[in-house]
Amino acid sequence: MNFNITTPETTQELLAQISKHQENNFRFGAGYTDLLLELKKQPDEDLTVINLAQLNDEHFTSISELDDGIRVGTLVTANRITYNEVLEKRYPVLYEAASKLASRQIRQVATIGGNLCTASPAGDIACALVALEARCEMLKTDGTVIVVPIDDFFVGVKKNCLLKNEILRSIIIPSNSENSKLYSGFIKVGTRCSMEIAVVSLAYHIQSDENGKITKAGVAIGSVAPTIKFAKSASEYLIGRSYTSIGTSKAEEFATKVLEYTLPISDIRASAWYRKEALFNISKSIFESN
Amino acid sequence: MKKELKIIGKPTPKLDARIKVSGEAVYGNDITLPNMLHGAILRTKYPVAKIESIDVSKAAQLPGVVCIITADDVDTNNISYLNDHPVLKKGEVNCIRDEIAAVAAETREIAQKALTLIDVKYKVKEGIFDPFEALKEDAPIINKFAPANNDKNIAHPFHYEHGNLQEQKDRSACIVKKRYNLPRVTHCCMGTCAVTADYSKMENRLTLYSQTQMPFLYQRDMAYTLKMEPSRIRIIQPIIGGGFGSKLDMYPYEPICALLAMKAGQPVQIAYDREEEFLASPTRQTMVIDISSGADKNGKFTFREVKIIMDNGAYTSWGATTPFVMMQTFSSLYQLPACLFEAYAVYTNNPYAGSFRGYGNPQATFAVERSIDLLAEELGMDKAEIRLLNANFKGEITGQRLEFISCGHRDALEMVIDKSGFDGKHCSTGVSQATQQNMKNSRSDTLVACGMSLKYESSSDKSVASTIFQRNSERYKRGIGLASMVHVGGGAKIYPSDGCGTTVKLDNFGYLTIITGSSEIGQGSETVLGMIASEELGIDMKNIRVINTDTDVKPWDVGVHASRTSFVAGNSLLGAVKKLKNKLSSKAVQLLETDIEDLEYENGLIKSRKTGESIKTDKVVREIHFREPNELCEESYYYEPDSKFQDKGFKGNVSGTYAFAAQAIEVEVDTYTGNVRVLDVHVAQDVGKVLNPLGLEGQIEGGVVTGMGYALTEELIIEKGMVLNPSFHDYKLPTAGDVPDIHFYPIETNDPKGPYGAKGVGEAPLIPTAPAIANAVSDAIGIKIDDLPITPEKVLKALKERIV
Ligand SMILES: Cc1cc2nc3c(=O)[nH]c(=O)nc-3n(C[C@H](O)[C@H](O)[C@H](O)COP(=O)(O)OP(=O)(O)OC[C@H]3O[C@@H](n4cnc5c(N)ncnc54)[C@H](O)[C@@H]3O)c2cc1C
Repeated sequence: MNFNITTPETTQELLAQISKHQENNFRFGAGYTDLLLELKKQPDEDLTVINLAQLNDEHFTSISELDDGIRVGTLVTANRITYNEVLEKRYPVLYEAASKLASRQIRQVATIGGNLCTASPAGDIACALVALEARCEMLKTDGTVIVVPIDDFFVGVKKNCLLKNEILRSIIIPSNSENSKLYSGFIKVGTRCSMEIAVVSLAYHIQSDENGKITKAGVAIGSVAPTIKFAKSASEYLIGRSYTSIGTSKAEEFATKVLEYTLPISDIRASAWYRKEALFNISKSIFESN
Repeated sequence: MKKELKIIGKPTPKLDARIKVSGEAVYGNDITLPNMLHGAILRTKYPVAKIESIDVSKAAQLPGVVCIITADDVDTNNISYLNDHPVLKKGEVNCIRDEIAAVAAETREIAQKALTLIDVKYKVKEGIFDPFEALKEDAPIINKFAPANNDKNIAHPFHYEHGNLQEQKDRSACIVKKRYNLPRVTHCCMGTCAVTADYSKMENRLTLYSQTQMPFLYQRDMAYTLKMEPSRIRIIQPIIGGGFGSKLDMYPYEPICALLAMKAGQPVQIAYDREEEFLASPTRQTMVIDISSGADKNGKFTFREVKIIMDNGAYTSWGATTPFVMMQTFSSLYQLPACLFEAYAVYTNNPYAGSFRGYGNPQATFAVERSIDLLAEELGMDKAEIRLLNANFKGEITGQRLEFISCGHRDALEMVIDKSGFDGKHCSTGVSQATQQNMKNSRSDTLVACGMSLKYESSSDKSVASTIFQRNSERYKRGIGLASMVHVGGGAKIYPSDGCGTTVKLDNFGYLTIITGSSEIGQGSETVLGMIASEELGIDMKNIRVINTDTDVKPWDVGVHASRTSFVAGNSLLGAVKKLKNKLSSKAVQLLETDIEDLEYENGLIKSRKTGESIKTDKVVREIHFREPNELCEESYYYEPDSKFQDKGFKGNVSGTYAFAAQAIEVEVDTYTGNVRVLDVHVAQDVGKVLNPLGLEGQIEGGVVTGMGYALTEELIIEKGMVLNPSFHDYKLPTAGDVPDIHFYPIETNDPKGPYGAKGVGEAPLIPTAPAIANAVSDAIGIKIDDLPITPEKVLKALKERIV
């Protein structure tokens, strides 16, 4: 593994470096927990890593309040998400996903941008953000910014929609409805407590009004299809219902709808059968306090 | 009168703890010698193939490459106790680990790069990856060096029997017949394999910095392989980052490293990365155990009839002799009138197995203890009661003629039954399982989904609190399981000597040097030796050094295996210390004008109890050194346990004494995901006598976690001879967060032969763990567990099948 490294400190330097390398082979490096493993498997070639670790740009590095939501910079680490009380309170699903990622050591360096850009179907933070219907804010070398819904960001197994002259800058998570009651969480199935890549995962963020009626629902699933999937019909199924009165049979109907979005593979971690079976069970489980 | 012990039995930090924790410790991978080169090994691309040609010319031209060797360049004998394993493979390969060529270069990167430039032409052949296929008549011969007198593809057959099998079968009220499949797991030493070879042409002397746990057998094996005089080879053991049995055999990379150093005329180091460690280091035997076992109407065991097929892989290691240990369990764990045992180590084209902590006993105990639960269920008997009824006892001489001169089997069982509340928790008969299930409640204290507790991480993982749903007791089922074990506890006589030599040297500043034949591989043996010397001589631990790493210096010892070090090296040290003490005492009586019985060794002093007068020990040494007749304060002793070689039928008292243990384990099964969470582990172990409680706890906890991995998560997955999960990502070693509460209750039986009454403890803690967990899972959800590991997928499948 051999590469050149360049470390821009300002946005301008960053964009200049991206422009400079348009004809070359280059990669971004944030926490390196995915990148180094990937580079280890590749033969040496003329590669430049644009190191984002020293970048001073609030859009990349901070968590800030917007009128219609919260902006999370792509360089925010998993640990920073877990230490943020606002995120924890408003978006338990994100908080839980971040705290179940790998181990504390990895979480200290693993970034939210890296998790999204890797575009793994097993990405924990990515799965939570899909359930939250977040938006991705991308910066182009000419300085313009484009925003895409997160569902459009993933285009295939380990493939995102970024072009070579673009970089992911931040994520915008929409605000919760006012006075809503939250049912929000992240369920990760695997064999170990930590250092586990999800065999199946389920992220849900459900809001209901003061009468108990569900007004908004986002359900996303991981490790059961080439990309993380937003389970649209399952989410819609919940709208208008009362969360607390969803009993066993409705819960199973919901779970059946979640399964519509699966196209699982069998590999050494689990069979396709297991992934579906476990997903069905955990999907219905979210209503079981009722 | 029993003397009160001053340090034995008191928690004592390991002597090497500071340097290990601080990073000062020099492990095998840290060694650097002047002009040292880095070696790398080209392994085959296909498990089974004819090698048509090897072209190293491109690699040789790469700048920085110093030398390359293939089988054609070397003259070596085969390795392994059956001499069936060529160091570098010529003409054909039979296993994915096979070494075809090796490179020494200036840097590790250059050596790795050179490997990619070696051009090997293969003609791929069909392999045999199932031992049952290998036993078929028309199967081809897998290892052409195999012993000629065995049937085809059988590396090593074993046969054992005692008692009248037919008679016992006829008396049985109930017979349970089962097939169990035990997986391939690997040691996962934190320190990967590493060896550094330094050869002096002028002196014809080879020095190896090796992680071996058997330095003297290693020296002999290395000499045989390289066709050298053993005394020309010096083995130095750097600090070893975990052994667990993996370093019992010598493997090809070690003589290869020596050959590279000899050819290059420069020192060479070969160190594996983690992937190579998974691919190329040994594993536990995978095996298929067919067992039928019986009991009479009162629940007394009648017989066990066992046939085992072990997948030997393409070559043989010491691991093939695990039946030797297994037959002890089948013949002698619980009282047993009759036993017939057959085992075959069968060649396949899979990666070869090696020896691993427990040495076959985890597999054997699994088969015995699972079957006992089934017998109890059939008989409608209580699972604790049936075990207590049949427990081994002090004074028992078993059918195999093992002599239990001390025995804590029953005490250990009773302890864990009591402490775990076993009687109130388990399903007594297995008949009314379903109804009892519903009464058993799940935990409601933690709310993390999918059975993923985050025990050691909980301070930041406040997710627990934010999850909004409650656990459903229908979903989580609890169960409890029981298992016990017997294992050698006083060495094992399998080599002409099972002994250990010790030299003790007391200098004229009062510092004691213990030069022991035994090896430290992380198990804490040097600390225990220091404690023993400190106890006897009244010398502070910080004034004691243990030298144990150099075959040029230390006296002979078989090596670290069979849980023998504290017992054998401890007794050996006691013998040496006794001689040294005699010398000191005879001088001290002159100086203190008293008699020997009156002397007491304490706080660096030799005291007269009568007069209260004392003299510093170092002063006594100086009196001995510097006054006529001017003697050294140095003594040596060789201890040989009084165990016996077994006869041709494997009968005889093979160990100085035997260790017993029992575990009761409580689990919770998530019926939605199939995850099994181990909640509580109760361990009672007959350790003879606790020497160092801290070291003992470490052995117990480490063993239990290894056993848990074996039961639930670990498996090196091999398909058609290829390793599919050579990384910690996919080889599921338990993590800190998975570790349950482990409650340990030492049973002190004060063995008449052990040092202070102690017996071997190292292997025992992992042996009953997997069967206890399997029994607990079966208790929780009423499914039969015949295979390990008990993965979530297997659990969910079994539940599903039960419902439909
Ligand atoms: C031992 C281990 C355990 C793991 N466990 C988990 C787990 O449980 N759950 C999980 O989801 N993941 C897990 N991972 C994967 C990894 O840690 C996460 O995906 C992490 O969030 C990646 O972040 P990073 O900052 O390290 O990314 P990097 O490795 O730095 O980058 C990853 C990829 O994203 C690109 N990239 C990074 N930032 C940007 C950006 N701003 N714009 C465009 N492209 C960018 C990089 O070029 C690279 O292709 C694990 C990894 C390891 C090594």
